[in-house]
Amino acid sequence: MPRKRTDAASRGASGAPHRRFVTTTVEVEGRAETRIVEMPDLDPAPWGDDAHLDVVGQRVARMDALEKVTGRARYTADLHLPAMLHAAFVRAPIPSGRLTSLDLAPALALPGVRGVLVAEDVPGVTHMGAPLFDDTIHWAGQPLAALCADTPELARFACSLVRLVVDPAPHAVTTNAALAPDAPLVRPIGNVPKNQPFERTRGDTDAALATAEVVITREYRTPCALHTALEPHGSAAEWMGDHLTVWESTQGIFQVRKDIARAFRLPLNRVRVMKDYMGGGFGAKNFAAANTFTAVALARKLGRPVRCILDRVGEQTDTGNRAASVQRVTLGSRRDGTLVAIQADVTVAYGYSGWFASPAKIYHELYQCPNVRTREQFVYLNTGAMDSFRAPGHAEGAFGLECAMDSLARELGIDPLELRRRNYAERDQDKDRPYSAKHLSRCYDEGAERFGWTHRRVDAAASRTHGGRLRRGVGMASQIWGAGGGPPAYATVRLNPDGTVDVLTGAQDLGTGSRTVFAQIAAECLGARLADVRTVLGDTERTPYAANSWGSITTVSVGPAVRVAALHVRERVLEAACEMLGVEPSRLSLRDSVVRIMGDERTMTLAQIGRKLGDVMIIGQGSRGPNPQNTAICAFAAQFAEVEVNVETGHVRVVHITSAHDSGRIINPTLAESQLEGGIIQGLGYALFEERTLDAALGVSLNPNMHDYKIPTMADIPSIDAFFVESSDVLANHTGARGIAEAPIIPTAPAIANAVADALGVEVGEIPLTPWRLLASLRG
Amino acid sequence: MRLTVNAEEHELTLAGHETLLTVLRERLQVTGAKHGCGRGECGACTVLLDGRLAYSCLTLAAGCEGRQISTVEGLGKAGALHPLQQAFIEQDALQCGFCTPGQLMAAAALLDEISDPTLEQIRAAMSGNLCRCGTYPKIVRAVQAAAAALRVRTDGIDAA
Repeated sequence: MPRKRTDAASRGASGAPHRRFVTTTVEVEGRAETRIVEMPDLDPAPWGDDAHLDVVGQRVARMDALEKVTGRARYTADLHLPAMLHAAFVRAPIPSGRLTSLDLAPALALPGVRGVLVAEDVPGVTHMGAPLFDDTIHWAGQPLAALCADTPELARFACSLVRLVVDPAPHAVTTNAALAPDAPLVRPIGNVPKNQPFERTRGDTDAALATAEVVITREYRTPCALHTALEPHGSAAEWMGDHLTVWESTQGIFQVRKDIARAFRLPLNRVRVMKDYMGGGFGAKNFAAANTFTAVALARKLGRPVRCILDRVGEQTDTGNRAASVQRVTLGSRRDGTLVAIQADVTVAYGYSGWFASPAKIYHELYQCPNVRTREQFVYLNTGAMDSFRAPGHAEGAFGLECAMDSLARELGIDPLELRRRNYAERDQDKDRPYSAKHLSRCYDEGAERFGWTHRRVDAAASRTHGGRLRRGVGMASQIWGAGGGPPAYATVRLNPDGTVDVLTGAQDLGTGSRTVFAQIAAECLGARLADVRTVLGDTERTPYAANSWGSITTVSVGPAVRVAALHVRERVLEAACEMLGVEPSRLSLRDSVVRIMGDERTMTLAQIGRKLGDVMIIGQGSRGPNPQNTAICAFAAQFAEVEVNVETGHVRVVHITSAHDSGRIINPTLAESQLEGGIIQGLGYALFEERTLDAALGVSLNPNMHDYKIPTMADIPSIDAFFVESSDVLANHTGARGIAEAPIIPTAPAIANAVADALGVEVGEIPLTPWRLLASLRG
Repeated sequence: MRLTVNAEEHELTLAGHETLLTVLRERLQVTGAKHGCGRGECGACTVLLDGRLAYSCLTLAAGCEGRQISTVEGLGKAGALHPLQQAFIEQDALQCGFCTPGQLMAAAALLDEISDPTLEQIRAAMSGNLCRCGTYPKIVRAVQAAAAALRVRTDGIDAA
């Protein structure tokens, strides 16, 4: 049984005073934050590898699958509120300049057009770093006004009738243009943020490179990639008196509540944000945005519910991106492959504003190396904002670092996998601290074995000797991603009179399987049948706080809180059973919703106990305790790819990918593997197809749609073998799990690029590996 | 005009430019088919018209009078799922679920035409239905499993 926490703050330090709140460090999306968190009142023993678990670890079906396959899952755009109106945006057609005239009359004259929203309606409200509906234009696609009408089509049509007069100003949409001596100013302070380039150093890179036996320098380029969730951003808002309800397609209901309350100066308890189902986020749906504020403000102004769903063009131009980068990488090593220095100069095409995602960070983390120096220069541009996008920074940085590692392997004549093994980091290199656990070497071993690294390399090389137009090649790459999660996160578990169980938490299920995973943890801890457990998410008014579903944190942040809450319910259920059965608690067990008595035939089901209790509701509260301090908690993976390149057309076909992952304990292998496959497929798109293309002269996107911005289709998918080298991480948290979601996308692009380089005998330094780019590489 | 959606008749007055997707979603509040792009690029709006696959965002509702319009809501329901729906659940062929209704309808159209599709036939038939979560490997398995289940069912009827 779990022990009651009496010396919470000091874990066993006898005599220490009880402290309910402790200061701790939490890492999210690669950033460390200091927080003061409340200690949970239970500190259950971690589930080690020898823990006997019935439900956790089982391949149970996704618990919301039935709603989804019957079309009954309700997404934001599916909402129909009484008297609801629809909003759409008028957007800037140029990347820089001034809006000098906005003639709305032709639009407002249309029957069914009900209202308009302009800058004066939303003072102090910002979107992507600029005042909402600003008359200064900072990027093409920036919202200038919103119109509201009886139907979404009418609202969009009305927008097309608005007469805009804009006064264009010179713009900068590429880093070269923005860094030129006479560049137009993107921001008043200039085109680079203060205190940049940002330099980060350990050891003495110059000295190490001066004496290194081998030095290579390469340049890598990554594209601007767009999240392209199938479901566009969207909100619906309804005011009842001074109480606002917002339905939002979001990764963070509490974040959106905070953003709305701040924007409209409302008390938090007058704002209810709900998210039942959402159609993919991938990092783009973490905050309230123009759609949210517009729905809220128009609903207030017009006194009717308003739905505001972005169209595809808006989605592809004004919701964030993974920014393009240029990485100049120098590696120094000894002849035996031991790294002595890593250096990277990184330029990021940041956009007008957004989330600073660091491509340089992974250079400090992935390999053992005493001397590392990176310099990062973000550049302000007249383009849409950078945003977090699945493994922000790391996916970009891994492409440079992991391709450079292969170049070094070629230079040294060492097997690329062997080179990585020789530079294995046994400790967190960046902060010089231990890992909670690390089984990357098992990923290397088992991944290479299942992929057939040795024989596929030989076979691919043999296939190339024939000199045909189809060339095969193999490549691999590795990754690291902070995946510890942390506080604060809360859960409530309650027993209904019929023996069913509700798990309530304010986390989101983005399609990751959170609903299912939380139900499994609750069923396990409580001793309930999984079929009797239901998870309720996504309502700031009815569920306790959980953080945004980002940064691979949800299962590992909320899971332990669910466990504590369920244990409280179990304890109380057993106490109630003692009273009903007249036996000592030590003689009772609870499993599969049945209480049994040692040495006694009598049993009671949860339903019988619930019925006997009547309307007495047993409620357990759980919270997430702090992570072990001075410990790195990371997800690790090694990925292997085989490709076939047509040297006449430049077409790359990925034949097979093997991906071996270490993410601690896996709560539901089926759902976790689905997530791995999804990350790999997104990584494949990043490697081969995906690239927002701007017209440099006009500064507007040339492919703001899903036809010209190519994401992978079913026809592009290789066979994928994605699996876990599972081992409970008892230091990470008491469920033994670590995060999963971002790990699979990080190594995919370099693994594929390295395989292409192997196939062609020519290094490829730029993604996506489109046919024309490959043919250009082949021509040298 | 009259539209027949999942065997149910609806009397409507429509403008000539209204798409089938809009009419389904906004007028009839049959919201299974999704609006992902509005340009026939993503497949989230896929429905069946007289049993054949159609992008409802590119189909004018006015041209659908007298035709059988089938959406995911008509495919099956809780307790009486279509083998495809059952297979999607069992194979975990969905994550966020937004593209799922379109995927199911595309798969239904395929299996109606080819009862035992090869991998290449599945890929060709369904590559117009995008999934950003990357559930494709599982969708392939689900379609194959459903095809097998449907053949058993049909063969069983034939034998009887």
